[in-house]
Amino acid sequence: MVGEGAGPAARLFRYDRRIAANAARATFSGWHDRLIATTMLLFALAAARSWLLDRTWPIAAWTIFGAGVLIGLTAGRLIAVRLAFHAFHGPLAADALRPALRGHYLIAWFAIGLALLAIFTVIARPSLLIAILPGYLIGSFVGYVTGSLSIAGFGAGKAGFDRMFRSWIQRPGAGIVAAAILLLSLAVAAQYLRGDALVVVAGIETALSGFALTIVDDSSVRFQTIAGRGAWRIIGPQARGAMVFVGIAAPVCSFAFGVALAAVVAATSIATLLLMAMRTLAYRIHGKGFADFIVSILTGLLILTAFSMPILLPFVGIAILWQLQRRSAARTWLLA
Amino acid sequence: MNPIIDLTAVSIDRSGERVVRHVDLTVIEGSWFGLIGANGSGKTSLLRALAGRLPFASGSCRIDGVEMIADRLARATHFGFSPPADTLPDGLRGREVLELVGGDIETMWPCLGPLRKALGLDALLDRWIGDCSAGMRQRITIALAFAQGHTRVILDEPFNWLDPVAAFDLRQALRAMVNNGLTLMTALHDLGTLAVACDAGIMLAGGNVAMGLDSRLLETAAQDPQAFERQTIDRLRAASAP
Repeated sequence: MVGEGAGPAARLFRYDRRIAANAARATFSGWHDRLIATTMLLFALAAARSWLLDRTWPIAAWTIFGAGVLIGLTAGRLIAVRLAFHAFHGPLAADALRPALRGHYLIAWFAIGLALLAIFTVIARPSLLIAILPGYLIGSFVGYVTGSLSIAGFGAGKAGFDRMFRSWIQRPGAGIVAAAILLLSLAVAAQYLRGDALVVVAGIETALSGFALTIVDDSSVRFQTIAGRGAWRIIGPQARGAMVFVGIAAPVCSFAFGVALAAVVAATSIATLLLMAMRTLAYRIHGKGFADFIVSILTGLLILTAFSMPILLPFVGIAILWQLQRRSAARTWLLA
Repeated sequence: MNPIIDLTAVSIDRSGERVVRHVDLTVIEGSWFGLIGANGSGKTSLLRALAGRLPFASGSCRIDGVEMIADRLARATHFGFSPPADTLPDGLRGREVLELVGGDIETMWPCLGPLRKALGLDALLDRWIGDCSAGMRQRITIALAFAQGHTRVILDEPFNWLDPVAAFDLRQALRAMVNNGLTLMTALHDLGTLAVACDAGIMLAGGNVAMGLDSRLLETAAQDPQAFERQTIDRLRAASAP
């Protein structure tokens, strides 16, 4: 369908595929990189297979359906953003504006995602194919449509608001406000919920606050990298809001709601900070699309490690950060 | 004297704000049209909209006599355009990005004409874009605008980042190509290039046309660049005064 010699119809796809292939080649250039990646992949496949086979079919099916939706949402949004980039900034803007060529591009990337998920599911538990593929297709459609709509809304004043919001969430005040909201809402929820239910609510609220406080602007990271800022000097200011949040929320939760709930708040906050650090380091090395792809794989690996061998989690996390930092430190820029 | 681009009262919105207001301009085939103006005056938005990278909010955009105000695809197909240098992918080599856009490099060289030498492209073919300096990236983006053989080309501040020799060579090469039939539109900050190389132009200020620059005025400017610079700066100051 879309191959190397398929002519102008496939030019957009070939352009991005070449970028992805070169980036993958550069990322896994050394034998030890390939060894680590292969080991991680095999480990992740084995852990996923083990986890899915240990569950009853309905639970495994719903889980894999949800994973398919999430992966599809991410893929759909990435493709919408990338097409918008091509139409606005790219050297192949005319191709990106032509409906038939946009269609080729969409089908090619969605088909690759579909094929990879199918291979994964056949290895993990073939009977779940019936669950993951519809999930992926639904997610892809919703992700692409919502991604396209949000890009279209970008021209209606949303850009200014986004910049203002991103700037505000990095301030310590944002962390104080988020912690106050969490504590107040938990105080109200505690009137109606007890035990595990309250912990789950705290975990979800913390995750939402943590993600909001650790939004990463890839273009800002790229600019700061060009300007010669080191990785940790970029990550530090981005982490301020979330650090203040966990610094207030965890101790107060420990006192007011118990140690278990406080531990969940602290662990979830650290996870969002880790994710932010991984994204920032990846944006220093790669373009947004490929960086998000790499980070999503690494996040999946961390989740699997947390489920299967939690004791190894800190070591795997540190190893990932070290590897990303090692690569990002080599980025330099000549200004003239 | 065949006008191929005819904009009438075009306006452009970005991020909900009107950045270009009721601009009129006409570009003659086989000429070099320059846009000057302060930062944020709307030059880039106007060029991007003309090249189909942005929609026009209103007005009329006739190219070769055909109305294209609502047709971004037609405008994008019509013009060669240099993408911003910082958006080139780090993970491609110079040759790869040129070939992905323009096809086989050997068949592309005739489209580039004297630019091949002026931009020093041979030395950039095997270099990773991620390892290129800003000036090297700029050379590649200029080449990309010509890689598909367009004879109407839009360049946004092409002399940025270039060293003096490269800027001189590029100006000479572009002028030679215009003399051979190329129609070129460029945003510029260098008044000397505007006076010496361009055939016509406009000065934008706050999204409006602050001054038209016809061929006679530019010929006079080329004879007395200092007076032209003084006059232009005065106009820009007056236009940007609160």
